[in-house]
Amino acid sequence: MWLVLKMIAFAAARSGVLCVIAWLSFVTPAGSYPQYQTFVEKHSGRTVNCSMCHVNDNGPVGDGGGQIGSLSAAEMTRLNQARAAMQPGQNVDSPILNKFGNQIIKKLGRANFLQTVSDPGQLGIALGDRDDLDGDGIPDSREFLDGTDPLNKFHGDPWLMLKNNMLRYKVHLLLAAVSIGLAVYGLKEIYSGFVLAKAEVERDGLNEKDQAENACQHGKKEENP
Amino acid sequence: MSSATIFGAVAKFFNERFPVEKLNFQSMVQQKTVPVHRMSWGYYMGGLTLFFLMIQVGTGLLLLFYYEPTVNDANLSVEYIMNHVSVGAVVRNMHAWSSSFMIFFALVHLISAFAMKAFTKPREITWIAGVLLLFITFALGFTGYLLPWNQIAVNATKVGLQALDATGAYLPGVLSRVPHIVRETFQGEATVGQVTLTRFYALHVVILPLALAVLLFVHLVLVQLHGMSQGIDREAKKRELFFPFFFVKDLSVWAAVFFVVFFLSLCVPFDCFLPFPLLDPYNALGATPPDIKPEWYFYFLYYPLELLPFWAVLLGTSTVVVVLFLTPWLFRKSSRRTLRYLALAASAYLAAMTLFGQQIYELVKR
Repeated sequence: MWLVLKMIAFAAARSGVLCVIAWLSFVTPAGSYPQYQTFVEKHSGRTVNCSMCHVNDNGPVGDGGGQIGSLSAAEMTRLNQARAAMQPGQNVDSPILNKFGNQIIKKLGRANFLQTVSDPGQLGIALGDRDDLDGDGIPDSREFLDGTDPLNKFHGDPWLMLKNNMLRYKVHLLLAAVSIGLAVYGLKEIYSGFVLAKAEVERDGLNEKDQAENACQHGKKEENP
Repeated sequence: MSSATIFGAVAKFFNERFPVEKLNFQSMVQQKTVPVHRMSWGYYMGGLTLFFLMIQVGTGLLLLFYYEPTVNDANLSVEYIMNHVSVGAVVRNMHAWSSSFMIFFALVHLISAFAMKAFTKPREITWIAGVLLLFITFALGFTGYLLPWNQIAVNATKVGLQALDATGAYLPGVLSRVPHIVRETFQGEATVGQVTLTRFYALHVVILPLALAVLLFVHLVLVQLHGMSQGIDREAKKRELFFPFFFVKDLSVWAAVFFVVFFLSLCVPFDCFLPFPLLDPYNALGATPPDIKPEWYFYFLYYPLELLPFWAVLLGTSTVVVVLFLTPWLFRKSSRRTLRYLALAASAYLAAMTLFGQQIYELVKR
């Protein structure tokens, strides 16, 4: 009985917290979380901006493309649906977020996401290492921590890119190495051939010289018997 | 001094520098030799620079098929090349990596030629042509940087053109107007825009490559006419024929280096080294983003500009340029040992500014 009451009380409290978070998220400016930018810049040493998660470089507030002030009625509906996605696993298509931003909300749910605001490093952990939206082989969570673009397959930590692409293109690299190795081997053989040819020419030259000298000496002997 | 004497002296100077009697197959091909000694690696540097130029021309021609030099389409066309054109990303990365390698090896070639005292009579014109080729290579890098029309491209070009303009304040009389005129000529309008892009494109793909081709021809013909310089104080104990022996070795080095460029282009996209907001398409209405820097090969100039008064950097740079052009006469009597120390000092400065420029900047500013 106590257990059931405890569970009811816990569920009510949790719903209450979620309601407060939901309410707060509606009344506060949507998505203005510079904490993430500050954290990533400090953690990675790279400059980042809002376009890591948002459509607009300057974040969601304003009248520009992908900002709240410019949204149509249909887009506002999509935005509100995304704002209401408190639980993980719900498909979200917020017009102010890019693919990575929407993926964060889908994966964590808005409630869990908002809990990471005070400790942005937790977002990297919460995202796990399975998702890779740009397919560059570096998990999105790692790209978030490294301050690289999770939606650009040509952008990532150089060392990780090197490691992943070496594995991905191992056949290409092997073929290139074999063909260039063969070319170098062929050039080496050509070089050896030239060395031999030169030695032969020099030897022939010496022989001819010797013969000429011998002939000369023989001629002198005949002249002076 | 009579005009006939002056004419005679000039004719003698050019006769010695352009020995036309050696313009034959036997002299330029059959008899050309390369000394073999501990500094022999220096003889590969010019060939490597030439090889990277060949890669630049090849990949650049391929990029021309898709690149659109308009402010609306430039960035989109680059994105299209990267994401939709078959092997487009590899070709563009090869162009980017190879440009860096070309500048690196051009610098190494210049410094090693200086250390080996390869500029002395009768090679003065070869040296001057080489210095001009280096400047053209830098200009190619600067003009090519703008073409992707992203945040860093446009903003770095603006900074570069502003620096050029600022030099006018330190020049006397009519000369003070020259940098401004040069900037106006290249920029073409009030700010960096479509006209600038068109002009930089013309410079990058036509004008500078043509100038480079002419100077390269002169440089290579002179190298063939005069042969390889001795490089060390004593006469080399051994010499090998340039054709075919050294040439085959050169080709082997080129093949190995090609693999390195291909490997890097496939595995490490050049854009990785920049913060991603700087790769966004340029927004004329947006604020200038932080971290705008030139390419790494301009760091030797960029960090001093950040740290020292502009006039000091200008004075230093102008002095270096003048010294580079007058090297064959200024260092005519210097020993190779002295030249090696100077070359080492220059290399140390370039390496320190390129690798640790940011740390030095932070240390000084703190």
